[in-house]
Amino acid sequence: MIAPLTALLVVMLAVPLAVDLVYAVSRVTFETLRAPSVIGFGNFAVVLRDGQFWGAMLFSLRFAVLVTAAELLLALTLAIFLAPLLASIPWLMAPLLLPMMVAPALVGLMYRLVLHEFVGAVPYYFVLLTGDSPSFLGPDTAFWTLVTIETLQWTPFALLILYTAYQSIPTDVREAASLDGTGPLQMLRYVELPLMRPTILAVGFIRFIDSFRVFDNVYTLTGAGAGGDTTTISIYIYEAFFRRDDIGVAVAASMILLAIAFAMLTVVLRWSERRA
Amino acid sequence: MRRILQAACGAVAMLALGGASARADVTVLGWPGGPEEVALRATVEAYNKQPSVAADDKVKLIFFNRDNFWDKLQADLAAGTAEFDVNLTATYAVGRYAPFMDPIDLPAAAHTTFSDGVLKTMQFEGKQYGVPTDLSLHFLYYRTDLIAKLLADPTWKAKYTEIAQAKWGKALAPKDPDQWTWDDYAATALFFTRSLNSDSPTRYGTVLQMKNLLFNMMVWHSTARSFGGNWTDASGAVTVDGPGYRAGLELYKKLYDAGTSPKDSLSYEFAEANAAFGSGQVATMLQWNAAFGDLDNKEKNPTVAGKIGTVAPPAGPEGRFTHIHGLGLGLNASSKHKDGALKFLNWLATPDAMLLYAKAGGSPALQPAIVEKIASDRPDLVKLGDYAGKYGFVMNGATSAKALQIYQLQAKEFTGYWAGTETEDAALKNVAAGMAELLKK
Repeated sequence: MIAPLTALLVVMLAVPLAVDLVYAVSRVTFETLRAPSVIGFGNFAVVLRDGQFWGAMLFSLRFAVLVTAAELLLALTLAIFLAPLLASIPWLMAPLLLPMMVAPALVGLMYRLVLHEFVGAVPYYFVLLTGDSPSFLGPDTAFWTLVTIETLQWTPFALLILYTAYQSIPTDVREAASLDGTGPLQMLRYVELPLMRPTILAVGFIRFIDSFRVFDNVYTLTGAGAGGDTTTISIYIYEAFFRRDDIGVAVAASMILLAIAFAMLTVVLRWSERRA
Repeated sequence: MRRILQAACGAVAMLALGGASARADVTVLGWPGGPEEVALRATVEAYNKQPSVAADDKVKLIFFNRDNFWDKLQADLAAGTAEFDVNLTATYAVGRYAPFMDPIDLPAAAHTTFSDGVLKTMQFEGKQYGVPTDLSLHFLYYRTDLIAKLLADPTWKAKYTEIAQAKWGKALAPKDPDQWTWDDYAATALFFTRSLNSDSPTRYGTVLQMKNLLFNMMVWHSTARSFGGNWTDASGAVTVDGPGYRAGLELYKKLYDAGTSPKDSLSYEFAEANAAFGSGQVATMLQWNAAFGDLDNKEKNPTVAGKIGTVAPPAGPEGRFTHIHGLGLGLNASSKHKDGALKFLNWLATPDAMLLYAKAGGSPALQPAIVEKIASDRPDLVKLGDYAGKYGFVMNGATSAKALQIYQLQAKEFTGYWAGTETEDAALKNVAAGMAELLKK
C-alpha cells in the first residue's frame, strides 16, 4: 500500500520540485520551457538584490501579521460570546461560515462593486449620510481595505476551530474552578485560554501562512496597486513569471519563500514539542 | 475486479472516441464576454451553415474568462496545447505569441476587406499572424446636454472662464469638443467638478483610468503622443524621458490632484470608468470605442443614453492622436487541424464574412467601399475607420516581443507618480532604463 502513495507523492511533489530546482538555476522563458540553460545561482542573486522583492515581502509580512491578529481576536471574542447561542442553535454556525465558502477572487470582484463610488452600496450610504464618500482603494487606504476584507472573509475559519476548542473544554474543569470562586474573567484568563492555547497557535499559524501568500482577492481588487504598492509576494512571483517572462527569477523567489516557510514551520514544531 | 477493469477500459475508450470526435472540428478560442464574442458566435454560425463546409471543418468556439486572458493563453501556447486550432492575438502581443503560432498567407480578398495599415496590426517581422477582426481606439466621450448648455448659457460661460483662470491659469472660453485642446479638456473637467463649482450638475468633470494596468497606459498614450511623446526615436533610442511624456503625466496628475476625477481613480479601469460615466455624475471621459454601445443603451444606462457625444481625443502641440490596436484570430502552431483552420481564417478575411461580423456587433476596420455597405446599421464603424486613418498611431516598438512588459513597466512607474509615492523624475528614469534593457534583449 505504500508504493502507490509513494508514487503519488513523487509525481505530485517530487517531480514538480525537481523541475522547479532546475528552473531556479536556469535562464528560462516561455519559449525555452523545455530547454532551460543552467546559469547557476544568478536568479537568487537577482531576487535578493531586487528592492521590489523586499517591498513585497514587507507588504506580505505586515498584511499577514495584522490580518492574523485581527482574525484571532475577532474569532475568539465571537467564539466566547456566541457560545451559549451556538450551543442552543447549532445551525447558526452555517451562515456564519458563508464568507469563507466564497472563492477569494470572487470576494475581490464583489468588493470592487460594493466599494465603487457610483454603484456600490457602501459609498451610496456614505453619500446619503455625509454628502461624500471616502476613498476605499486610494493609495492611502487600499492597504487597510484589503486587511479588512481578508479579515471579514477568513474570521469564520478561525471562529469554527476556536469555538470547537472552547466547547471541548471539559465541564468539570469549569465547575471545579467555579467552586474555587473563580470569576468569569479569571476563568478566561487562567483556565480557558491556557487550555485553548495550542488551538489558538495552530489557527494563528495556518492563517499567517495563508494571508502571507495572499493573491486572489488582492489581485482582483487592486492588482499590484499604484506604483506597486499592494504587491504581495505571490503577486511578485506571478508578475515575474507571466508578465516579465522571467521564469527562473519567479521560481527562485518561490524557492526562497519555501525555505522561509520551512524554517518557520521547523521553529514552530520544535517550540511545540518543547512545550509538550 | 475484472468487471471494474472492463468498465474502466470502456470508459477510457469512450472518452478517447469523444476526444477524437471533438478534434475533428476546428476549435477557435475567442475574446470573451463582449461584443466580440457575440459577433464571432453569429459569424461562426453562418460559416457552419454553408453547404461547402465539410463536417470535419465545422467551427466550434471556446472562451476563457477575460481576467488575465493573455497570461492563460501564453501558458497554453507554451505548453503546446492542441485544444484550440485558432487563437486570439493582438497588436501588442503579436511578438509575444509569434513563436507559438504559424504565419498565414491571406487570400487576395483580404486586401479588398482591409487596408494594408490594418493588416499590419497583425504582422510581426513582416509576417501575417492573424485576420484583424476588431480595431480599438479611443474616443473622448462627453455629455451632449451639458456641453450644449455650457456653450449657450452666459452664466455658465462666465463661470467657466473664471474657473479656468483660477485653477488652470488660462482664461479660456467654452468650445465645441471637436475643437478641444488638452487645456479645454482640463478646464471643462474643472468646471464640471462639484467640489470646485457648486453649480455643477455632476460630481466630477472627468474620470481617469489610473489603475496599474497595461490597458490604462494605452489610454494615456493618446495624451502623451499628442504632446510629442514616443517610446523610441527612429534610431531605436528610448525617448520616454522627454517633454512629451512629462506633459502627459503632469496633465493627469494635476487633474487627479484637483479632484476632477473620482478619488479611487487609481483603482479604475474600463468597467469602473464606464460605471462612473453611466451614473450621470461625470461629464467627460477618455475611453475605448467599444464602450459606446453599452453606454448609449437606454436599458443599461438610462441616465446618459442618448446624451453622449464622441469625438477624437483633444489636440496637443503635435496634433490629435489616438492609440490603435487590433484584435485578430491566427493559427496555433500546435494545431492538429491546420487545413480546416486555414479554410476558416481565409473565409473570415473576405468582405462578406467581415460584413456579417460587423452587423453582429464586431468592430472591424474595413476599407471605405466595404464599410459603406453597413454605414446605416453601424455608423460608428465609419467613424472608427475615419479616426484610425486620421489620428491612429502605434508607439515605436509597441509591436515588439517585449511590448507587453514595457506597457506593464510604464503602468507600474507612472501610477506611482500619480499616487504621489514616486517622483516624476524617478518614474521616467526607471522606465527609460527598463525599456532600454527590454528592447535590447
